[in-house]
Amino acid sequence: MSTNAKVSADADAEAEVVCVQLMLGLVLPLPLTLFIAHHLYSINLLSHPSLTLSLISVIQCPIVLLLYGRLRKNRKHCSYLKAVGRGLLGLPIGALVNALGAIALGAPVGTQYFSQTLNWSLMMSLFTIVPAATVFGSSWKDWQRIFAHTKPMGSVDIIICLPAHGAVIGAWFGAWPMPLDWERPWQEWPICVSYGAIAGYLVAMVASFGCVAVRARLQHVKRE
Amino acid sequence: MSSSLTCTKLTLLTITGVTIQIIGLSLFVYGFFPVKPALSGVSGAESFRAPTCTPVHNQTDSDLPPHHLKSLYEELSGIAPFDRLVLMVIDGLPAEFVLGKDDKPPPKALMDAMPYTQSLLANGMAIGYHAKAAPPTVTMPRLKAMVSGAIGGFLDVAFNFNTQALLDDNLLGQFLKIGWKMVMFGDETWLKLFPGLFTRHDGVGSFFVKDTVQVDQNVSRHLGDELSRDDWDLMVLHYLGLDHVGHIGGRNSILMAPKLLEMDKVVNMIHTTVIADQENGQGQTLLVVVSDHGMTYNGNHGGSSFEETDSLALFIGLRNHVSDYALYTLNTVYQVDIAPTLALLFGVPIPKNNVGVLLSGTFGSFTDDQQLKALELNSWQLLRLLQAQLPGLSCENSLCDGFSDDQGCRINKCIGNIENMICCLYLKATMLHSSWRLKDVSSRSYGREDYSGIVAAYYEFLKTASEWLSRRVTDKPVNLLALGVAAMMLSCLILLSLIFSFYKEVYYTKMQQCFDSKYSMHTWSLDETFVLGVILILVVSMGSSSMVEEEQYIWHFVTTTLNMLLLRKMMQSLLVEASRSLFRLYKGNKKIAFQMCSIFVLIISGRTLRGWHQGGVNWTYLPDISKWLEKAGSNHVKSIQLVSGLLMISLCLFALSLSGSRRKISLVVGFSFLMFGLLVLQHIQKYQDNIFASSNYNATLSVQIIFAGLGIATIGTFVAYPWLMPICVSKIYSSHHSFMSGSVPIEIQNDYPLLELKNSLYLIGWAYLFCWCLLQLLLQQPINALPMLLLFVQILASLIYASNGSVHHKQWVEIAALYYLGMAGHFALGNSNTLATIDVAGAFIGMSSYSTLLSGILMFIITYASPSFFLLSLVMYISVDTSYLVIPQKADSEHLLKNMLAFPCLVPLGLNSIILTAYTIVLLLMRNHLFVWSVFSPKYLYVCATTLCVYIGVSFVAATVIYSYLVLAIRKRMQGFSSIDTR
Repeated sequence: MSTNAKVSADADAEAEVVCVQLMLGLVLPLPLTLFIAHHLYSINLLSHPSLTLSLISVIQCPIVLLLYGRLRKNRKHCSYLKAVGRGLLGLPIGALVNALGAIALGAPVGTQYFSQTLNWSLMMSLFTIVPAATVFGSSWKDWQRIFAHTKPMGSVDIIICLPAHGAVIGAWFGAWPMPLDWERPWQEWPICVSYGAIAGYLVAMVASFGCVAVRARLQHVKRE
Repeated sequence: MSSSLTCTKLTLLTITGVTIQIIGLSLFVYGFFPVKPALSGVSGAESFRAPTCTPVHNQTDSDLPPHHLKSLYEELSGIAPFDRLVLMVIDGLPAEFVLGKDDKPPPKALMDAMPYTQSLLANGMAIGYHAKAAPPTVTMPRLKAMVSGAIGGFLDVAFNFNTQALLDDNLLGQFLKIGWKMVMFGDETWLKLFPGLFTRHDGVGSFFVKDTVQVDQNVSRHLGDELSRDDWDLMVLHYLGLDHVGHIGGRNSILMAPKLLEMDKVVNMIHTTVIADQENGQGQTLLVVVSDHGMTYNGNHGGSSFEETDSLALFIGLRNHVSDYALYTLNTVYQVDIAPTLALLFGVPIPKNNVGVLLSGTFGSFTDDQQLKALELNSWQLLRLLQAQLPGLSCENSLCDGFSDDQGCRINKCIGNIENMICCLYLKATMLHSSWRLKDVSSRSYGREDYSGIVAAYYEFLKTASEWLSRRVTDKPVNLLALGVAAMMLSCLILLSLIFSFYKEVYYTKMQQCFDSKYSMHTWSLDETFVLGVILILVVSMGSSSMVEEEQYIWHFVTTTLNMLLLRKMMQSLLVEASRSLFRLYKGNKKIAFQMCSIFVLIISGRTLRGWHQGGVNWTYLPDISKWLEKAGSNHVKSIQLVSGLLMISLCLFALSLSGSRRKISLVVGFSFLMFGLLVLQHIQKYQDNIFASSNYNATLSVQIIFAGLGIATIGTFVAYPWLMPICVSKIYSSHHSFMSGSVPIEIQNDYPLLELKNSLYLIGWAYLFCWCLLQLLLQQPINALPMLLLFVQILASLIYASNGSVHHKQWVEIAALYYLGMAGHFALGNSNTLATIDVAGAFIGMSSYSTLLSGILMFIITYASPSFFLLSLVMYISVDTSYLVIPQKADSEHLLKNMLAFPCLVPLGLNSIILTAYTIVLLLMRNHLFVWSVFSPKYLYVCATTLCVYIGVSFVAATVIYSYLVLAIRKRMQGFSSIDTR
């Protein structure tokens, strides 16, 4: 019992550290990527949607894998490398799930949309599935807790669950302006959905950071 | 907890709510849609005098004999008019076909199709205009607009199928007053608009859409004879063939070019015999070729897109030769402008309610004086109309009295409120005109700038006045509207509170029975919240015109999201052992696996349906499956239609076999429906090959046989099945029943005919669905056969989902989901919120003679195929649903019926009442919006029709369940008595 508590306390502490790193490593680089891409190479989501999305994915991917790998569960049976490996495996699967979901909700199908959809779903996979795959592997119970029940327990769960939901909900709301007849270029398929997803992800990331910080302080008070 | 809501009370309250809703709706519709024109009476000689302060009623001139009146008008106006008019209406001809678009001539093929007309235009013998028609672009309101110059009320569309005489002031009435003889050949709408006006006429029906040849031959055969006669002054020719060609095959139909050539020949004939040869002593004849509206690329019309409103006005035989006709074709004019132009050209008073403006260029052959006089007459008429509508424009206003305030009106810009602006513009024009008149004739010819300045000033006034008048919404009776909205809100409240109280009652009953269950009824799960959220989303989205135009996106988006949320809910209860093997995931989760599969089916078929028709207004050009298939060829479409018909029939038979009852009677029912299914397939195979064969006698007869057979079979099943089905009292048969999963106490099974009811409802519901499928297979366009199959698959999937649900699932969520699916399917079948997508051609399948009522019903069946389908599926839903089996021990028949019917009836009614009320309020708020007549009002008609659809569907469901229950209860009781007797 005590070891369990110790493990969870350790995990929480670790989560705290990782969360700080995530804030530094994810929340800042995302807008930074967009900014640099826009100013150095003059590409942005509007002019080169797939290129920008793939750039985001390429920068995101190592950060997400390396940082979330440190939070892996069941450390005795799972090395750091293995966690990163299963995260990498989760990337295409998550992309497939996200792409299918988007198509079911009305994303256009066709060869001319293929690269946009692919890059968008890779980005979404990094936001949603990959962190969970890295941390939990194939443990159904954890997946169910995070994604079906949305009941995060502990700091690790929070920093997986909140950003993933934020990204999905943001993308869902981002799709709303698409059918309107405003004739703006950003109403095209992945652009406003990507904006929504990124915005939702960033907001949820900040929120999860806040949650973890509050939790840590409370626990600190309790321990004293 | 005693039930406070008895069955009778519930029924009575529901009926009250619905009645209040109907009353409120009719009050609102009556108040909102203007029917009456602004000014009554007919223009007379006073229209040649300037508007004065005190209205003068000199009725003396109306008593004059016609030829006196004619000379009086001529004397007053000082314009030497034309003598005879040939008005040729080509129904549905877009002006683009003749004049081209955006400064470009029409495509080569179309130029070649009308050689004579094009040569007239090229030589300057004719002037053509793009005359913008006002929505709704359907024939009757457009004809009214052309002859009266007034933009009619929106409800003219509704009256389009029940034409009434035009009583307002109009051109034809004015012509009659000056003693003209008129003849008419073509669309019989003219005869209904002007009964008894024409000395000779030959009307053809406008609704027999499949005929493209005979309608026009019936018109043209009179031409030779009539053109040689000189006893008529006005000849109206209304050719319907081109519109029919459009309805059948769209703009690019292979029949289009021959039809245009035929029209061109008519123009040629009239021009050569009557106009080019003016020395035959019949006076000067003018040929005016107009179209009442355009057509979309699919050949439909009714909406307000450019393609539909782009109608033609072509004047042939004006005495001037226009060198650069492109000047006139470029600036778009309005269809209502035809009325004042013709009135002035023929020297009759302009109709009172005209809002049109004299077409510039038509008076080219008249002297400057006469041209200015014509403009002045037009201005006087519009000013009179303005005075009637703007009380502020009264004669107390010194500005309008004229010459006292010279300096005030010399300013170049007229600003301020509408009264001042109009006064100022009018005065500016009249001042310039009068000062011009004072100059002597010799100096006038040098002052062309003066002259064009006056014309420009007149046009500025006329355009401003015309625009203001046509945009102005007539005064609405506020009391009526308020009462209507209040009644609708009241009924909405009644229905919602009924749902709420019933929900609470069910919830308490369930709580009493399952305290031990860890499933808490208090959890307000995400899918329920979302079902309520959908309503909110819809209500909010209705406020935006582009969301109304693209409503199909919303329905698809929310239904798919709802399905995904249900999937998530399934995941919650999916139990997986600690093992990592994904292959063992489905072990012990058979029911959930079934439910998940059905949700996957729902999502996949929903996405296919979404991709079938692009729909909407703004993105119709985007590729979709139906366009792709039509491009692939009609053979592919037909084979897909046949295959989906076959699949539909086999699915239906499969669904019948699922019921588990292998009684003779259900075999008989299944067999008879199978026969009709094969008949439908045979009909499709035989007759849907070409567009001409489908209107012949054999095809009509076979369709009528199918209609009658389906009707008899369905009604027969409904009436007879509860009487004929076997009733057993044994206690063991529940074990082999496939849908009987709930644990129903044996006593209740014995006392109440629950199982029998379930069986009979299953079969009757099945018969409804099968009948509806076959009917749609027959009526819908061939391309819509597969969407119908997918809708049927969706229904089956929803039923499988519902039948595998746990006892605690929320019934109202499932019914709301069914309703939403039905609305999503409505748009998936190619419908939209414009009137253009209504399939008119389908409404005449199987009709041997024209009947407004029958074709209206068929049109309703085609348009509301999907919502009605899903409402009818509620009968089957009740039979497979298990939730109402959780009943207290002291249950009685009333209680059972109430539990069975309350949600299936109340939820659709409640949802619809929310949408109806909200949209009514939106329409009221948007009454001054630019798109109120083109976007919001058509949508309101759709909302009203949906309401009707819900009423009909719900009453069908209620009648079926109550009837079956009563019959079975009576039989059960009788059997009970007899078994007691034998004991």
